Amino acid sequence: MQKAEKQDRLATGLILGLAGIAALIVISLVAYLLITGLPHVSWHFLTSSASAFTSGGGIFDQLFNSFYLVILTLAVAVPLALGAAIYLSEYAPQNGWTNALRLAIEVLSSLPSIVIGLFGYLVFVLRWGLDFSLLAGALALTIINLPLLTRACETALQQVPALQRQAGLGLGMPKWQVTLKIVLPQALPGILTGAILSAGRIFGEAAALIYTAGQSTVNVDYTNWNPFAPTSFLNPMRPAETLAVHIWKVNTEGLIPDAAAVSSGAAAVLILTILIFNLSARGLGNYLARRLRK
Amino acid sequence: MNEIALAVQNVAVAYGEKPVVTDVNMEFPAHQITALIGASGSGKSTLLRSLNRMNDEIATVTGQINFHGVDINRPETNVYRVRQQIGMVFQQPTPFPMSIYENVIYGLRLRGEKDRTVLDQRVEASLKQAALWEEVKDRLQTSAQALSGGQQQRLCIARTLATQPEIILMDEPTSALDPISTNQIEATLAQLKEQFTIIIVTHNMQQASRISDWTAYFEQGKLVEFKPTDQLFMNPSEQRTADYLSGKFG
Amino acid sequence: MENWHTYLTGASKERQQERRGRWLTSLALLVIGALVVTILLFLIAKGVRLFTTGEGKLTEFFFSPTWAPGAGVFGAAPMIVTSLIVTVVAGLIGLPFALAVALAVTEILPPVAKKLLQPVIELLVGIPSVVYGLVGLTVIVPAVRQLVGGTGFGLVAAVGVLYLMIMPTMTSMAIEALQAVPKQQRQASAGLGATRWQTIHRVVLPAARGGILTAMIFGMARAFGEALAVQMVIGNAAIMPTSLQSSAATLTSVLTTGMGNTIMGTAANDALWALALVLLAMSLLFNLGMRLVTKKG
Repeated sequence: MQKAEKQDRLATGLILGLAGIAALIVISLVAYLLITGLPHVSWHFLTSSASAFTSGGGIFDQLFNSFYLVILTLAVAVPLALGAAIYLSEYAPQNGWTNALRLAIEVLSSLPSIVIGLFGYLVFVLRWGLDFSLLAGALALTIINLPLLTRACETALQQVPALQRQAGLGLGMPKWQVTLKIVLPQALPGILTGAILSAGRIFGEAAALIYTAGQSTVNVDYTNWNPFAPTSFLNPMRPAETLAVHIWKVNTEGLIPDAAAVSSGAAAVLILTILIFNLSARGLGNYLARRLRK
Repeated sequence: MNEIALAVQNVAVAYGEKPVVTDVNMEFPAHQITALIGASGSGKSTLLRSLNRMNDEIATVTGQINFHGVDINRPETNVYRVRQQIGMVFQQPTPFPMSIYENVIYGLRLRGEKDRTVLDQRVEASLKQAALWEEVKDRLQTSAQALSGGQQQRLCIARTLATQPEIILMDEPTSALDPISTNQIEATLAQLKEQFTIIIVTHNMQQASRISDWTAYFEQGKLVEFKPTDQLFMNPSEQRTADYLSGKFG
Repeated sequence: MENWHTYLTGASKERQQERRGRWLTSLALLVIGALVVTILLFLIAKGVRLFTTGEGKLTEFFFSPTWAPGAGVFGAAPMIVTSLIVTVVAGLIGLPFALAVALAVTEILPPVAKKLLQPVIELLVGIPSVVYGLVGLTVIVPAVRQLVGGTGFGLVAAVGVLYLMIMPTMTSMAIEALQAVPKQQRQASAGLGATRWQTIHRVVLPAARGGILTAMIFGMARAFGEALAVQMVIGNAAIMPTSLQSSAATLTSVLTTGMGNTIMGTAANDALWALALVLLAMSLLFNLGMRLVTKKG
C-alpha cells in the first residue's frame, strides 16, 4: 500500500474517531437530561406552584412567566426589527450612515447577555423605575434579540424576487405599498421562522433576566384578567422568575431539599419546549411557503 | 403625422459615471406601436425604463420627457401618477402570488375601488383585451402562478390594462416565451393600439417589422434612425441601420 | 384630464404613504442605532467611575492579583486571567471535535448522516446555557471530584461546561464553512489522483480556513460572555488560579454574584461596572477579530 493511502486511512480513522466521541458525548448529554428529567415531569409538577423550603413543588408560575415573557418580548422586538429590516432592505441608500447602522447592529449582536442584563438593570429597573418586572425583562430580551431578528427579517425580504417589486412599481404603487402588499406576504414564512427561533432563545435566557425580571415570583391571581391590577397574572409590572432562572436559582441559592429533581425536571421541560419551537419553526415555514406557491 | 403621446428631448441616462444613453430626441405617436430595436447594450431598454421613471434610484436621467405638455422627468413629478398613466410590462411574467382575479384588479383596489360590479366588469374587459378571457373565465379564483408562461404574460398585460393607462411600455415582453405564446401576444397588441399607445423594446427584428408602425434603431446609446417601420426596413437612410438589419453587426 | 400639470405634479395619497413608510422604518432603525450608542455610553460612563473617583487605580485594576472590594483593593487580574484561560482552553479542545464532526458529515459520511445530525445540532445550539450549567453541576463537578479530588468546582469543570456549550455552535459553523467550498474543487483534486485526506488537507481546509477560524472565535466569544453556566461550577473564588483544579471566578461570574450584593454608587459597585466594561471591550475585540478573519477569507 502506498504512503498516501495509508495516510488517508489513518486520517479518516482519526476524523471518524473524534467525531464518534463528540457524537457519543452529545447523545449521552441529551439522553442524560431526558432520562433524569422526564420522570419528575408530572401533571402535578407542571400545574403546581414552586415551594420555598419543602420538597414536592412544581413549576407552574415559572412556566407561565417564561411563555408570557416570550409574548411580551416578541411584541416589542418584532415590529422594531421588521421596521429596521424593511428600511435596510428596501430603502437604505449605500452610504456611510447605513454602514454605521449595520455596524451598530453587529456590535449589539456581540454583546454578552449578562452585559445587556446589567444595562437593563441600570436603565429600566433603576432609572426608569420599572423595578424587577416582566416589562424590564422583556425590554432587555428585546435588545438581545434585535440583531438576529433584524437579520432574519432582512434575509426573508431579500429572498422575494426583485421582479415582483418591479411589477408593483410599474403599476404605479409607491414602494411602501409594494413592500406591505407584495413583498411582506411572500417574506412571511422566513420572518415567522426567525421569530419562533427567537422565541426559543427568549425561553431559555437567564443571565439577562436575573437583574431585570428578577429572581422571585409574587403570588398572582390567575383569574384576574385585568393587566393593570397588581395581583393579575397579566400584570407586566410584577417581578417574575422564569423557568431558566428557576433552574439557576434552585441550584445556587435554593433551600429546597429536592433541588436536583426540580431542576432536572425543569430542564427536561425547557429542552422539550425548545425542541417544539425548533420543529414548529421549520414546519410552519415549510407550510406557509407551500401555501404561498399554490 | 399623428398626435404625439410622449416627446423626448435631449435625454441622456448614466449608471453612475457610465453613460448608457446619450442625447436622444424623439416623439412617440399616439395610438401607434413604436418598436425600439438594437443590439443588447444599445440603451433601448434603459431609455424605455426612463419613460415612466422606473430608473429612479438606479440611474441618472437628464433631459426632458414631455407628457401632455408636462416634463415628467423632474423632481417634483408625482411618479406614482406617471406610472398609472404610463404602465409597464416586463420581460419576465410577474404574476403576484394570488388569484387571477386579484391580480387583474390589483392596481384598482389599491386606488380604492370597492364596487364589485365595477371590478368584475374591469376584470372581464381587461382579460378580453389581453385575449386571455376564454382560457381563464372559469377559474378566475385560482392561483395565477399555476398559469403557463404565455398566459402569465397576458395576465400581466391585462393587469396593466386594468389600470387604464394611456401608454404601455413593454420591455421585450415575449423574449421569455415560446413561439405560440409570442404569436398570441403579438395578435393582442394589434388590437390594443386602438385604445393605447404602445412602445415596445424587442431584440427580434422580425417582431418589430410584423407588429410596429414606427421603428427606432439604437446603437451604443444613440438613436440612429427613427421612421415608419416599412420605410426603415425597406429603405434605411443610415448605413449603420442597414448593416444591423442585414445582420452585419457593427 | 383637465389640468395635466396639477395632476402630474400634485400631492397624492401615494406620496404621503411613501413618506410615512420611509419615516416609520427609518425610525425603527434609528431606535436600534440609538440603543446601541446608549448602551455603550452608559456602560463606559459607569465603567470608568471607579477610576475617576480615585477609588481604584488602573495599574492596580489590571495587574493586582487581589480582589478585595471590602478592603478597597480592586485587582481584576484574577478574573481577566481566568476568563481568558477557560475560554481559550474550551475553544482549543472544542475545535478538533467540531472540525472532526464537520469533516465527517461533509466529506466522509453519506448525506443521510448530515440530514440526521442537522436537527440534533440545531437543538443543541438552542439548549439554554443554564441547562449546560446544570449538567456541569450534576455530572462534571462530581466526576472531577472523583478523578482529581477536591471539591470538583473550579477551572476544569468550567472548561468542561463551556466545551459542551460551544461545540454545537462551532460544529454548525464549521459545516457551513466546509460546504461553502465548491464541489468542483474537490472533484478536480480527486481527478488528479489525490486521496480523500490529501483533498481535505490541501484543498478543502485551506479554502475553508477563514470560516473555520471564524467558527472558533465565535465559539470563544460565546464562552467568554457566558455567565450563569460558568458561575454554577467554577467555585466563585476571586483569586488567581494556581492549578486547573483550583476554584476561581470569571468576569461574568463575579458580576452575576456581586451585582445584587453591592450598593449603587459605592466603590465596590463601581468596581463591578469596571469589570463589565472589560467584558464589553473584550466582546468587541472578539467581534473585530472575526471581522478581520472574514475579510481576509
